[in-house]
Amino acid sequence: MASNHGNTNSEPATNEQIITEFFAKSLHIILESRCPYVSSRNYSGEQVLSSPSSSSSSSSSFWPRDKWFNLALKDCSAALENIDFWRQSYLEPMVVDVVLVQRTSNWDPLNCSPKRALVRNLSSKERYYWNSENDEYRNEVMSEKIIERWVVEYESKKCSNIGGGGGGSGTGSKRWSSTSWHTLYKKSTLLLRSLYVTVRLLPAYKLFRDLISSAQIGMYNLGHRVSSFVEPFTRTEEAEMQRFVFTPVDTACGRLCLSVLYRSSISDVSSEPSTPMSPQFIPDYVGSPMADPLKTFPSGPLPQGSPSFSHLGRRHSWSYDLYKASPPSGIPSPSPSYSESHATFAKPHSYRLPPTGVTRHLPDETPQEHVKNTNYDEYSPSPNFSMSPSPSPPTYTPGIHISNALKRSESAPVSIPAIRASGIPPLFYNQMLPPSPPLRPSKSSLAKMDCRSTLLQAGSTVDKIFPFGKDEAGRLTGVKISSNSSPQKSISRSSSRLSFPDDYDESEFSGPFVVDEDDMTDPGSRPGSFDPVGNPCGQNDHVGVSAVKKSQDAAVGALVCMLKKAPPLQQDLQNSANLLHGSRPEILKSTTMDPNQISGQPVMQQSAAMSSAASLLAPKTTADALEELRGYAVMKNSLLKQGGDHKHT
Amino acid sequence: MNCEVCQLKELEVEHIEVREVLRCILHTILFHRALGLVRPKDVDLELFDITYVQCGDVEHEKKINEKIDHFIDRVEKHPNKKNQICLSFYEVKNKQATWFTNKVERHYWEQWYINLNTVQHPKTHSGKSHHSKVVVDPGETASEERNARRTALESSLREVLFQIIKFVNEKKDHVPPIPNLDGVSFPYEITISSSSDSAFGMDMLKRMLQTGHPTMLS
Repeated sequence: MASNHGNTNSEPATNEQIITEFFAKSLHIILESRCPYVSSRNYSGEQVLSSPSSSSSSSSSFWPRDKWFNLALKDCSAALENIDFWRQSYLEPMVVDVVLVQRTSNWDPLNCSPKRALVRNLSSKERYYWNSENDEYRNEVMSEKIIERWVVEYESKKCSNIGGGGGGSGTGSKRWSSTSWHTLYKKSTLLLRSLYVTVRLLPAYKLFRDLISSAQIGMYNLGHRVSSFVEPFTRTEEAEMQRFVFTPVDTACGRLCLSVLYRSSISDVSSEPSTPMSPQFIPDYVGSPMADPLKTFPSGPLPQGSPSFSHLGRRHSWSYDLYKASPPSGIPSPSPSYSESHATFAKPHSYRLPPTGVTRHLPDETPQEHVKNTNYDEYSPSPNFSMSPSPSPPTYTPGIHISNALKRSESAPVSIPAIRASGIPPLFYNQMLPPSPPLRPSKSSLAKMDCRSTLLQAGSTVDKIFPFGKDEAGRLTGVKISSNSSPQKSISRSSSRLSFPDDYDESEFSGPFVVDEDDMTDPGSRPGSFDPVGNPCGQNDHVGVSAVKKSQDAAVGALVCMLKKAPPLQQDLQNSANLLHGSRPEILKSTTMDPNQISGQPVMQQSAAMSSAASLLAPKTTADALEELRGYAVMKNSLLKQGGDHKHT
Repeated sequence: MNCEVCQLKELEVEHIEVREVLRCILHTILFHRALGLVRPKDVDLELFDITYVQCGDVEHEKKINEKIDHFIDRVEKHPNKKNQICLSFYEVKNKQATWFTNKVERHYWEQWYINLNTVQHPKTHSGKSHHSKVVVDPGETASEERNARRTALESSLREVLFQIIKFVNEKKDHVPPIPNLDGVSFPYEITISSSSDSAFGMDMLKRMLQTGHPTMLS
């Protein structure tokens, strides 16, 4: 590269080479700071390569391609793979779209739980807990939004002697050509320096950093498309974006242009209605060396809505606890903050009736805390309270929660998200219905819920009930940020193939997730990963928590808003009372009192309270069912008798 | 030969923010002028949600840190004064003349003026710069104010960084050819002055005479 091409023949060739390399380097710079998989992998590799160098002494540690534009970059396979086309023809523009993939707020029952299970399986304790919040969004549909569009373009014009790069234009072709490529090279080097800095100043870089620091695990992901044509934005889209145009670099036969359209406020993008303050989610994160464990999971493409899902859903009501018991095994040790939050969040559990699965597994397999957590999760998400029109005094809320919990305990948790989705096929729905009679009422009541508002409310309600919720949120946030555990990275690795532009169309993009889900659908093979869909409640709490992520003050504000907007809860209370087959206002009341009484108490006591509540309530419902069954049996017998009588007579 | 001059937007900074702000700005400029083979190093500011880029050269980093120390000393001696740091790039016309730094042999081709207005705030912190972003003060209102102010400063700092980028983009012709480069970066010097410093004015005058008329930029 360094050799000076004096003769005019090689001049265009050198220019071409510079232009081609400029394309490659631009792409490299952009993707290196937008493609999580690449960078996290190389952060480790980097250290080997980079020796602290003063001046040019350490050139031995540089790759040949680093010498182009004197800029050594981290390895970026995505960039290398995508540049081939422009190595053939730099006359085509190179358009790099950076895509934020996240959940929208539409419920999609088919997308439900499996992925969450995946995440959890990989995660450490605190990560798991945090994830459980995100998991609520797994019921939602993924959406892609282009947050940046980089365009690298060579505008060619008829070759002439004019304009060979800034300063030395037009003094005879020989002189021109000798200065030309130097100038071109210098200017493109400067341009690339600017690009390198700019890429890190744009809002998308923050998302990228959060991704690779794994703080945002499961909330969203960044993808990219590299193509040679522009799929134009709509006007509204374009109105939301800002443009930064780098000053073009003139060459002998054209000019090199570089520009970017970017969303100035990513938070707009990321905070969809259901996800108040933080960028939400995405399925495939790309990642890190840690990804490998994930790869060991059996995976194969699975069509969305595969039957196995409903199976999964059904199992949930009990496999739940199985799962809960297992996290410790995969996890080094619970961090203090984790357990703390755990304990506080666990309090509500005491009011709820434990699912049958709980009672089954709890004694031998499940540590108490986990059980409680489970209970809580089941309880909080209950959609019911969002709908109730009548104002209810705060004191009643716990009662409402209880009633929800009761219903929930009987029904498979999975059914809730499914029910929320309006478009759910009846068959599927039926499959998810739990066998026991008490469930039916809950089904009907659940069906009318507005799931999204429910989410928010669930979170806010929790906070209302438990003042310490805010602190919790803070702690959780801390947990989330501090935990740099591998799971995220590993997952992203598996999904990294998504980011290759060639593959990158929508269907393909979602593919890996589906695969992941498929992996998860076999609970038997990986009990630890098997996660209750019913869990969403716990997640709801975390919705509030996640919102807090950026600043506690803001979070508090958001919570206050949610509380203000929350529809009254009383109706639910009534509903739930009905659901319980007149299971007794007294019980509800007593449970209502519990939160206040218990809030200061140790976890153990809560569990005791919980079980007592369970003992009070559970027999009632099963007894009812039995009663009903017996009634049917009697009827059947009498009918048979009658039939027999008829025959005889 | 022109000497391009860029006056960066003035920033109002607290004492503890001086170091980070200066580092960020100086390194960003330097990175654009370090046209030798570099392996860039991303650095996250502690006080602000900003990532800037260093050219990864230890010598440069050391030099910048020393200058920042000087600057901070000066700020401590003259609080509440507007202070200016000037980063000048030059070429050495005649290597033998490098001993006499003020001689004509130094050809300044670019100057960056970083304008800082150091303000005093109620002392909630020691002068150390290593505070995390989440400083929890007992005085709620004080910390709120501080946060608001810091957010504002962050966006101003971002503006300054973009100002640098734009300048670098628009003005490329005056940058000496890369082959002239000796080392990672073009030679540069950093000078410090206060607004009331008359010696600085003289210095500027001298420099103008030496290098021709600077092209003033916005």
